[in-house]
Amino acid sequence: MSFYIPIGPQHPVHPEPLLMKFKVEGEQVIDVEINVSYTHRGIEKGFEYRDYMKGIFLAERICGICNAAHTLCYTQNIEQLLGKEIPPRAKYLRLIVEELSRIHSHLLWLGLAAHQIGFETLFMYVWRDREKVLDLLETITGNRVVTAYNTIGGVRRDITPEIEQKIRKSLDYLEERTKYFKKVVMEEPTVLVRTQNVGILKPREAIELFAVGPVLRASGIKHDIRADDPYIAHDEVPFNVVTYDTCDVYARILVRVDEILECINMVRYSLDHLPSGEYRIRMPVIVRPPPGESVSRVEAPRGELLHYVRSDGSDKPYRYKVRTPTLANIPSTARMLTSRGDYIVYIADIPIIFGSIDPCLCCTGRVMFIDIEKSKSWVWTYNELVRYSLKRFERHD
Amino acid sequence: MIEALYKIIEMILFPGFAFIGVLSLLYEWIDRKFYARLQNRIGPLYAGPHGILQPLADFIKLLSKEDIIPEGADKFLFTLTPILFFAINLLLTLFLPICGTTGVISFTGDLIFFVALLTIISILVYTAGMASTNRFATIGAERAVLQLIGYEIPFMLSIVSVAISSRSLTIKNIVESQSSIWHILGPNFLAFIIFAITAQAELERIPFDIPEAEQEIVAGWLVEYSGKKLALFRLGKDVETLLLCGLGATLFLGGPLGPVVPGLEIVFYTLYFIIKSIIVLLVLTTLRALFARLRVDQMLVLSWKYLIPLSLISVLIVRVVF
Repeated sequence: MSFYIPIGPQHPVHPEPLLMKFKVEGEQVIDVEINVSYTHRGIEKGFEYRDYMKGIFLAERICGICNAAHTLCYTQNIEQLLGKEIPPRAKYLRLIVEELSRIHSHLLWLGLAAHQIGFETLFMYVWRDREKVLDLLETITGNRVVTAYNTIGGVRRDITPEIEQKIRKSLDYLEERTKYFKKVVMEEPTVLVRTQNVGILKPREAIELFAVGPVLRASGIKHDIRADDPYIAHDEVPFNVVTYDTCDVYARILVRVDEILECINMVRYSLDHLPSGEYRIRMPVIVRPPPGESVSRVEAPRGELLHYVRSDGSDKPYRYKVRTPTLANIPSTARMLTSRGDYIVYIADIPIIFGSIDPCLCCTGRVMFIDIEKSKSWVWTYNELVRYSLKRFERHD
Repeated sequence: MIEALYKIIEMILFPGFAFIGVLSLLYEWIDRKFYARLQNRIGPLYAGPHGILQPLADFIKLLSKEDIIPEGADKFLFTLTPILFFAINLLLTLFLPICGTTGVISFTGDLIFFVALLTIISILVYTAGMASTNRFATIGAERAVLQLIGYEIPFMLSIVSVAISSRSLTIKNIVESQSSIWHILGPNFLAFIIFAITAQAELERIPFDIPEAEQEIVAGWLVEYSGKKLALFRLGKDVETLLLCGLGATLFLGGPLGPVVPGLEIVFYTLYFIIKSIIVLLVLTTLRALFARLRVDQMLVLSWKYLIPLSLISVLIVRVVF
């Protein structure tokens, strides 16, 4: 006998709203439907109502954890439109903050993954050590999570030799702890049985379904925007693209843990080779880029992030488009969550499989209407949306 | 007449219900605090000194919450199960030898009765889940029964090997047979390990908190319970923890026995019982902090592939030695 169980929109492991409707038979999952559109916030429209400087703050709030990647992507776009090159020191400083926030994101995810398989102790340990990197971000940027560091023309603050010393000290601690966590993950038998051969995504499927970021790299495909299309100082700072080829949740954990170690080395290298000079070029408060369009890509902690901007010469963007990594990973998740052949998904595996893409749904919501019978899809305009909501309101009154 | 009065006091005050209630809340606090310290957290802190009153505060808070019975639920079973769950657990504590070598209730072969009622507790979990007719609760209830199939046999066998080595099925005799050497120090050490692991499953704690599994099926069989019913389940769970820790202490650590000052036997016996059962509790809490949660199929594999053969070996060793 099969029946449906809903995971979400409210569920203990997903603080963000999303609905996964599972068709289950006993403990086995047969089919899944994913609905991510519970948090459409109208951000892209929001950009069109703000001037370019204010847009930075909005870009920062697309996603709390990868805010550094979003502002980086945004400011790169605007700088490309303006045709400005930022000073080399700013490039390195941006890289440092980007990599630190990647460490933060991966540690946060590792803790959550441990929580999702019921390993509370590892969860607590990881989140305790995450505080170190948050302290670092606070020292450098003034804020713990939402860093507000990147700005058009460079960064907001410089780092002093004292801060540099502090970073190095904390990095040593973090490196030691990360190696310890890696050891725990690789040796603890209950973690191994819960993660190995769970959530399989074959390399071919990963490419077909446009997986990005650590999910793609855990399927054995060497793809990283930092290496393939270097931005800021990534062409000067050496690093290895981490890949594992077991294609399961275990590989995704190891990819992220190894990436933390890579990030630590990258930050160390950039501190050693930090160029002197200005850390920003002054910009007027209101910038008016010439008409044109620009695309910028950044490797956010969760995968490839893409921003597109079109300017009509005024002080506000004409169109702004954001493609976040979680949205790109949703189709592969649906594949991972469906049993096929001798690959069986159990109810108990749902949280960790879905969690293994490091979902961030607040940046994922999209509104689109699809009529399956007529195979037609369309998008509503602002006025249609207002008319619809007014009608709904009347009906419920 | 006096004897009957004495029996009633024993049952209600000490070492009966009132004492057990206080002790089980204390054990919950120890469990939570120690678990928190293992995870580098602080744990309960504000209610009372070092948060010692936190379990009581939680209990009172739950009592004051709204009590909801879902529309589709079987109202009779839904209401009856928490009461039975609590009552059976409380009844079983009367068998524990706390302030002497016998419990409040003691008869020949009471160990069998004790273990049989322990199984009924697990079946009540199934009833609770099924009565609430929630999808998560149904899955949780199914998992509880599957898990029962896994841990019940090794649990029984570990108790059997103790019974064999003391040549008795009466708790009183098992305690008295340990007056010279505790069972855990002899060939029953393996049985103690199996007992600790299966007690973990009986109590539904990590790595065997599969029927509750907060991250997977929200709260499993408990999901629809709220207010007083949930409070009863919580308190029943605490009593069950005390019960299994006490059983471990009784069967393997010599129960309340130890060197005593003549005339003050009751105080010393109670003290020894509490210390020994807290040791068992700390072992269980440490186990809880060490692992990730298993899947129910993996739990069954673990149980049938390793625990049952091991417990059979344990019984065999004990049979050969004694």
